[in-house]
Amino acid sequence: MVLGMLLIVGLLSSCAKSPKPTPDVVVVERPALTLDPNDRAWKDLPEHVAPLLLQDMVDPRLMEPSTAVVHVQAMTDGKEIAFRLSWDDATMNDMPGPAKFTDACAVQLPKKAEPDLPAPQMGETGRLVEIAFWRASWQAVVDGRGDTIKDLQPNASVDHYPFEAPSLQPGSTEQQEMQQRYSPARATGNTMAGPRERPVECLVAAGPGTLTPDPALKANGSGKYAKGKWAVVISRPLPEVLRAAPRSQAAFAVWEGSHQEVGARKMRTGWVPIVREQRKS
Amino acid sequence: MARVNNWQIGREMSYWYPESRPQKQFAAIFDVNKCIACQTCTLACKTTWTSGKGQEYMLWNNVESKPYGFYPLAWDVNILSKLGPQSWKDGKYEGQTIFESAPAGERVLGWRPDELDYAHPNVGEDDCAGAMIENGAALAVPHMSWFYYLARICNHCTYPACLASCPRGSIYKRPEDGIVLVDQGRCRGYQECVKACPYKKVFYNPMTGTSEKCIACFPKMEQGLQPQCFVNCIGKIRMAGYISTPDKANPENPIDYLVHIKKVALPLFPQFGLEPNVYYIPPVHAPANYLMQMFGPGAWDAIRTYESAKDDADLAGLMGLFGCSEQVLPRWKRVNDSVIGLDEKGKELVRVPLREPMHVRAAFDPKYGVQRTNCP
Repeated sequence: MVLGMLLIVGLLSSCAKSPKPTPDVVVVERPALTLDPNDRAWKDLPEHVAPLLLQDMVDPRLMEPSTAVVHVQAMTDGKEIAFRLSWDDATMNDMPGPAKFTDACAVQLPKKAEPDLPAPQMGETGRLVEIAFWRASWQAVVDGRGDTIKDLQPNASVDHYPFEAPSLQPGSTEQQEMQQRYSPARATGNTMAGPRERPVECLVAAGPGTLTPDPALKANGSGKYAKGKWAVVISRPLPEVLRAAPRSQAAFAVWEGSHQEVGARKMRTGWVPIVREQRKS
Repeated sequence: MARVNNWQIGREMSYWYPESRPQKQFAAIFDVNKCIACQTCTLACKTTWTSGKGQEYMLWNNVESKPYGFYPLAWDVNILSKLGPQSWKDGKYEGQTIFESAPAGERVLGWRPDELDYAHPNVGEDDCAGAMIENGAALAVPHMSWFYYLARICNHCTYPACLASCPRGSIYKRPEDGIVLVDQGRCRGYQECVKACPYKKVFYNPMTGTSEKCIACFPKMEQGLQPQCFVNCIGKIRMAGYISTPDKANPENPIDYLVHIKKVALPLFPQFGLEPNVYYIPPVHAPANYLMQMFGPGAWDAIRTYESAKDDADLAGLMGLFGCSEQVLPRWKRVNDSVIGLDEKGKELVRVPLREPMHVRAAFDPKYGVQRTNCP
C-alpha cells in the first residue's frame, strides 16, 4: 500500500518536471530576467520543442543532419526578452582554429510588424530580420579564456612579436597602434574579431549573405555545457513585433562545431509562433 | 553558374560569377631553376605582414621541395586525388575544373586542411626515404632522385575559388589591378575560402576569427614597387608586373613576352580552372609527366625554350632583369648588349648588361708575393 502510494507520488512528480511542450513559444512575464541558463526561474516556464531542419536551400548547404531538436523557453520584463535554448550535444566545441568550428545558436525575429513575414532564411531585400547570435568560443572568452595564442595552443612557442619589443612601452599609444597594425580585422572594428565582452551579437539580415552587425541592438547572454547538453540564454531588447502585438514568429538555429557547421551550414527551424503571455488582471 | 573564358585551359568553363576582368591583372614569373630555398622571401613576407597574434603558423609566401614537400601537408595531391584523372588534348583541357566538379551543396570542390597539416613546413621533405642509404644508395650521375624548390604565394587568380566560395561576398578582386583581398571588416571566419582555394593560400586567424591571405604587397604595387618577397629574393628568381590576355599580348611587356610570346612561363595547375597569375619557368631536371601535371601540357616545350636562352639574346637578356630593381618594370627592350627596364611611358628605370663583365684575377699576387685563394 505504502509502496503503491510512493509510486503514484513519483509518477506525479516526474510528470510535473516534464510538462507537455507547447505548440508556440510562450513568452512569460517576469519582473526580472536572468542570464543564467541554470537559474530556477526557468524551471516552470513552458517549453517549446522545435524540430530542426537542414539548411539545404542555399549554397553552401548542410547535407547531413546533426542536432535534431532545440528546446525553447522565453521570458520578458516588458523591456527585454530572454530566450533559453537547450539541445543535446555530445561534444563541446569552443575552440577556434583551422578546420575547427564552435558550437553556436541564434534567435531570429522579423524587424517590423507586417501582415506577412519575411523569408525565414535570413529575411529578404527590404524586409529585414534581427538575429541574436551566441557562440561557444565567445562564451569561453567571456568566461576568462585569455587573448593569447597559448590559450588556444598551450604548446605554442612564439619567439617574438614586433609590437612587444623592449623598446616599446607596454600599453603605450605607440605600442597599441603597432599591435593593431598586425591585426587588421580588429583595426577595422570587425565585431567578430574580439576580444569580446559579451558572448552574443545582434545582427540584421536582408537575405542570405547579408548578415550585418547592428550595434544599436544590445544583446547579451550566457551558455553552459553539462552532461551532453548546451543550455544558452540569449537576451535582447523586446522586439518591435512583440511590442506591437502579442503574437509574432521567431526562428531558431543551432550549429554543431564538431560537424563543421558554420555560417550557412546549420540546422534551423522555419518560423515558429511566439506568443506573449497576457497579464492576468 | 556563369560561362567564362579561361585561356589557360583553352575553353569556356563554369564559374560562380560572370567574367569580369580587371583593368590590369597583377602577375608574376618565378624561375624555379634559380630557387635555392633560402626562404628569404618567406621571412621577408613573415616580417612584413604576418607577425601578429593568430598569424604565427601562416606563411603567405612559402617555399617547399617538390615532390614531397607541402605547405600545408598534401595540399596538391589531395585536390588532385579528389579531382581524379583528367586529360588534355591539343592544348585544350578536356577534364573538369574544381568549379565544374563541385559536389551538391558546394560551390567549389575543396577540402579543409587540419590544424596539424600546417605544423611542420619543410621538416623532412628533403630527406632520403625508404631505407635507401641502408641499402647502399649513393649519388651517381645521372641520379635517380630529383627534386626542386617551389616558391608559392597567392596566385591572384582571374577566377578565384576563394572569392567564389565566400557566401558573404567578403572577398573581392580589385578592378584596378586584379589583386584578390579578404575584407577584414566583413569576413566572419566561415573558412569556406580556406576549403575552396586549391593552393591553400587563405589562412584562418584563430585570434581574430577571420581569414587572411597574401595581399601582393598592394601598398607597394600602388607605388610601382614590387612586393617584399620579390625584392628580397637573393636568387633573383622573381619578376612582378601585369599580364594581358593572349589576344592583347604586348611583346614590350616582360610578363606578356615570357608567358604569351615565348611561352616559357606556365601557370600552376591550370586544370583547376582558376586562371592563376603566378607563372613558373619549370625546372629542367624533373620528369616530364610530373611537370605536365603541375604546369600543363606546355611544360616540356617551355623547358626546351628555356634551354635555348643561351642562343636567344632577348630571352636571356630579359631574364637578366629579374631582381635587378625594386620598381615594377612594365616595359622592356634590348639594345645591343644592354637590357633596359622602362616605365609605361618609355622612361628608363634600370639598365643591365646582357652579360655581366667577367674579371679574372691572376692566381699569384706579385705585389705581396702570395697565392690568391678563390674566396671573394
